Amino acid sequence: MRRTSFADSPRLLGAMVASSLAFIVAFVGYPVFYNLVMSFQEVTLGNIRDFWRPFAGVANYRTLIQDPAFAQVTINTVVFTAANVILQLGFGFALALFFNLDFPGARWMRGMILAGWILPPLVIAAIFKWLFATNGGLVNEALLATGVIARPMTFLSDPASAMPIVIATNVWFGTPFAMILLSAGLSNLPDEVYEAAAIDGAGPWQRLVRITLPLMAPTIFAVLCLSTIYTLRAFDVIFGMTGGGPVNATLTFPVWSFQFSFQQFTFGQGAAIATLMFVFVIGVSIVYIRSLKSETRL
Amino acid sequence: MPTTRRDLARLAAAVTLAAPGLAAPAIARAQGRTLALWHVFNLETEAYMREGVRSWNAANPNLRIEERIIPFAQYRTELVRAIATGETPDLCVIDNPDTPSFSAQNQLTDLSARVAASANIKADKYLPGPWSTTQWRGHTYAIPRDSNTIALYLNHEMFRAAGLDPAKPPATWAEVVETAKKLASADGRVVGIMFSARAAEDATFQWLPWLWQAGADIDKLDTPEAAAALQVWVELVSSGAASRDVLTVSQSEGTNRLISGNAAMAISGPWDTPRVSQQARFEWSVAPLPVRGIGQEIRASALGGWNWAIPQGSKNPDAAWRVIEHMSQPEIMRNSWVSGRLAPRTDVTVENPAYPQAFAAYSEQMKVARARGPHPRWPDLSRPVQQAIQQALSGQASAEAALRTAAGVIRPILAQVPLRG
Repeated sequence: MRRTSFADSPRLLGAMVASSLAFIVAFVGYPVFYNLVMSFQEVTLGNIRDFWRPFAGVANYRTLIQDPAFAQVTINTVVFTAANVILQLGFGFALALFFNLDFPGARWMRGMILAGWILPPLVIAAIFKWLFATNGGLVNEALLATGVIARPMTFLSDPASAMPIVIATNVWFGTPFAMILLSAGLSNLPDEVYEAAAIDGAGPWQRLVRITLPLMAPTIFAVLCLSTIYTLRAFDVIFGMTGGGPVNATLTFPVWSFQFSFQQFTFGQGAAIATLMFVFVIGVSIVYIRSLKSETRL
Repeated sequence: MPTTRRDLARLAAAVTLAAPGLAAPAIARAQGRTLALWHVFNLETEAYMREGVRSWNAANPNLRIEERIIPFAQYRTELVRAIATGETPDLCVIDNPDTPSFSAQNQLTDLSARVAASANIKADKYLPGPWSTTQWRGHTYAIPRDSNTIALYLNHEMFRAAGLDPAKPPATWAEVVETAKKLASADGRVVGIMFSARAAEDATFQWLPWLWQAGADIDKLDTPEAAAALQVWVELVSSGAASRDVLTVSQSEGTNRLISGNAAMAISGPWDTPRVSQQARFEWSVAPLPVRGIGQEIRASALGGWNWAIPQGSKNPDAAWRVIEHMSQPEIMRNSWVSGRLAPRTDVTVENPAYPQAFAAYSEQMKVARARGPHPRWPDLSRPVQQAIQQALSGQASAEAALRTAAGVIRPILAQVPLRG
């Protein structure tokens, strides 16, 4: 198919590209650059308005890495992100397949599940914090009433179980997003392939493994990248549920960065964390953009 | 500390509602001169701010106060952002432990000359604790707005059911441990006591009274006295007398457990009194914090509350000062107690106060309330204390070891600027 595109009018193309580039430089490039500069400066409440502040070299990064919490925060961030991405993708895919069966009410139910994703994360944090409360929390009351446990569990207030609970909450919050993207991918799969497979006698399992998964690979990969980026910057759910505690058990880089900048007023260290995270997110983004290119080639 | 503002559900709702309001000050400014005031108070319940602003606006139609209400959890972030972009309001409130951070970094207008010329605002008319948080190197950078402190809420029905007399609340550390153990139910559904030891300022705020009552202070964390003060909390949590959830709940969430009947006692501040009064379906009262023991009766409590301050960059510091003078009149400050805030002045009398028993108890407790710091790096001092508390309560370290680590972090900071420096 011959596409008519902006390429047909070089001047219009130039103007469009220049304006979006200017937008990106002003609203994405400048903040990133500003943050990078801040991470090499000593920034206090007294000089935060200035651009030229005392140069600190790599002191902010060194302080971070030497902080006794650094190793744990790194592990927490990796665990939180990996668990979220895998579980959101798994549940999201299962739900997408389920609603793809298009039974009566499927669309309506799929819409209802999206409600979780529309709620503000701070509200979700407050609700789940109460659900998992040790005394009077709904989960404990249900387990006590059914005789599964004899005494209430200390879900969020035990450093060993706080992270799984926070992860579960964020999975509940993030799964609908993965589901909707995967649903869109599923609805684009060609029916002919499935009809041919049915004629050849392929069962449901074979259809899933041999047809659906390979055809969905680019979409799955895109969701993988996107949910990695979204989970890495997740802040509200953790902040609202535990504030990073107990004893740093749920402290991740975004929450730590917030604490440095807006609780301790050590803006340089907050900026250093943001820069480290930015480098990682850029890496994921490059992978994602490359996958988009290969997808269009399909 | 007005921790009701930390009620996250309400906070999220407020954020959503506040967004369209951002455009309002610009419109008002175009119509005449206004004075931008930033604060965190809910005008539905905060009669002091509501009535004070109303009477100012009635008397000054050409210099109306234009309020911007920011939820507590975002307030500091917004203030820092305003300083960074040079878009500070004409007048604002600042949480008292944060005030020295902003004063020492020269972000607040020096009010010393204005105080010297004022008839109403004089150091000797204020309680020494709140006033001390406004001082930095001999200058006054803020004026106390309201004060609070913490005490012990009791559920009388649970006391009686356990064969205890609510008229005789636990008066010592040993008694509070023993009483809380008796009040805790065997199935673990009801605990004896709630307080807040979460990874936030709440933990420091709630533990400092115990530390002070032991005769120690934040610069003496590696002492047996400090360890004893933390050990009481460890004993409360490890015995099940207090819920382990103290590690995650805010002060007001702790009070929620009392209201819902899941805790027989709760340590919190007067900001929760109106809510307890409206929602608790049982007889309750407020008792002073227990002291260390007989013959060791150092009474102490921690001071919370907000100050007025005029940020650097205020477009109208003179008018802002007149608003502070207006709001500091005893007859206007009298309204503070309606929302559970105490006046920081000595000449404010509240006749026929609402919740009279709680008012009397908190007023008494206020007399022994001490300021946190004051120190320009208070957040850096508070954080290691929070960590030590969490480590000890979760059993990761003994009280002594956890506090020794905290003392090691705090010592170099205090070597640069001593407490009350």
